[in-house]
Amino acid sequence: MQNPYIPYPVVVDKIITEVDTKDIKTFRFKFVNPEDEQKYAYMPGQFGELSIFGKGESPIGIASSPTQKGYVEFTVQKAGVVTSALHEMEEGTVMGIRGPLGNSWPLQFLEGKNIVIVGGGFAFTTLRSMINYALHEDNRKRFGNITVIYGARNPGLLLYKDELEAWAKRSDINLNVTVDKGDATWKGREGFVPAVCKDVAPSKENAVALICGPPVMIRFTLPVFFEIGFSKENIITSLEMRMKCGIGKCGRCNVGSKYVCKDGPVFSLAELDKLTPEY
Amino acid sequence: MAGDLLVWAPVKKEDNVLFAPLGAGDEPFLAYLNTKNAPKNVFFPHTETLMKFTRTPKGMEFSSEVNKADQSVLFGVRPCDAHSFVLLDKLFDQEKYKDGYYIDKRKNTTVISLACVKPPYASCFCTSVDGEPVSADGADILLTDIGGDYLVEFATEKGEKLAPYFGETKADAAADAKKAEAAARAREAVASTIPAHEIKPILDVNFDNPFWNTIHGKCLACGTCTYVCPTCHCFDISDEVKGSDGIRIRSWDSCMFPLFTKETSGHNPRSSQKERWRQRTMHKFKYYVDMFNAIACVGCGRCVMSCPVNIDIRKIVADISKL
Repeated sequence: MQNPYIPYPVVVDKIITEVDTKDIKTFRFKFVNPEDEQKYAYMPGQFGELSIFGKGESPIGIASSPTQKGYVEFTVQKAGVVTSALHEMEEGTVMGIRGPLGNSWPLQFLEGKNIVIVGGGFAFTTLRSMINYALHEDNRKRFGNITVIYGARNPGLLLYKDELEAWAKRSDINLNVTVDKGDATWKGREGFVPAVCKDVAPSKENAVALICGPPVMIRFTLPVFFEIGFSKENIITSLEMRMKCGIGKCGRCNVGSKYVCKDGPVFSLAELDKLTPEY
Repeated sequence: MAGDLLVWAPVKKEDNVLFAPLGAGDEPFLAYLNTKNAPKNVFFPHTETLMKFTRTPKGMEFSSEVNKADQSVLFGVRPCDAHSFVLLDKLFDQEKYKDGYYIDKRKNTTVISLACVKPPYASCFCTSVDGEPVSADGADILLTDIGGDYLVEFATEKGEKLAPYFGETKADAAADAKKAEAAARAREAVASTIPAHEIKPILDVNFDNPFWNTIHGKCLACGTCTYVCPTCHCFDISDEVKGSDGIRIRSWDSCMFPLFTKETSGHNPRSSQKERWRQRTMHKFKYYVDMFNAIACVGCGRCVMSCPVNIDIRKIVADISKL
């Protein structure tokens, strides 16, 4: 049986600098042992522990979709010891990833429903996984309308710019990209995410909202969805906590009786209501 | 036995009695009440290497898994501490994520319990938390002092394998009766009781009770309570590098420490000692019950005796029962 503490060896295959400030990069990893890709079978919304020997590990949401074969991607902000070391890495370096860990976006529950995806800033990564998964030709018909509202502080901080352009050209996704403040070249929407949500006003009929973003965005976005009439069962989010083991043993990421690493990170608001407000 | 197998037993070290491996010919220290530390370190050492890695031209690479579990015997465990193994098994030996480091040591170790015919401390409260002073729960062999002789009971197949070490004499019905008497006497003699089973429904609805402001005032956040606790299992994972070789280790950590939950952003969901005490109490008497249907306290009283500022879990539980 696989020892859950031992990372799979991976090569840093490609590094994409996502933002003007250069502190958010997407790392594409290929498995050193091709058979490990099969073992790392994941679903959108799960996360992995990026493991740099000598530095430690950092839990990061998986940004690629399982429909993208041959590699796995993580979008990482430079912040602490491990992520700073990662940002210094060059393509070709060998490191490790553990996982996949945690639950996922509730794909069975989402089946046949309209999906409203709301993301703010850097928290868009596992939502991007979900979007690419749902838009894939094998999966698109499993879901109803897909509405995306994605915001960043300014145009330079938008992630996945090429993909945003590609999605904008498709007719089977309603994409709304906004920035808090545009610049000289910005031709898109300006405004905060909650305001754009109000403006787009996605229907609550047979719909589920997946919402991820900074706390301030969440705080002002939820009332918009409550007003539209979304129930707490139909608003889903993903939590972050300090983690180490990722498998519910080391004892630090619990919210009440649930471990965010093992029982989460994805919870509905109805589920969160039953937990202690300690996150 | 100590010549053939790795035997952990209580030994006297300076002023403390601790579990340590015996060398051949070494005698365990048997005049002990209980050990200063819980024996959990036999299965879950305070520092343990998880894997090794080494520097290559492509970066630091994984080099080997570390998994060595010698056949060993853990001798002289008090029944409260043996009960803690049953509780730790629930966490480390779950269906989905198995912790091989713990499981291998646990599987390869035969636990010999020494019954508390005289419960040793005023702070003992095992009978309030599903324990018994004379019990083979969590053990492979139980030794009970029945006045001059020890009654040896083999509770598991693993225990029976050590039968050759215990001589030929068969126990008779009289010995069993003496043991039953001793057990009943011991049960009566357990000095403390706490309403541990009453507080779960109270904890379910009192997360925000102002009561939580009343525990932590004098807490020094030293973490001693979690260090000596038989059921505390929190750990940290970190890397150490020397030259071109490195190891990834796990070490005991504590929910009493401010950095335990502090995130890189600076946000800390348990921002003061109040939240940390609530976590410790809730984890033992509510969360573990929710998760595994068992209270994560064995009533050994070590935290009561070791706390430098006399925070007493017995009082906390009693106070909660009155909320």
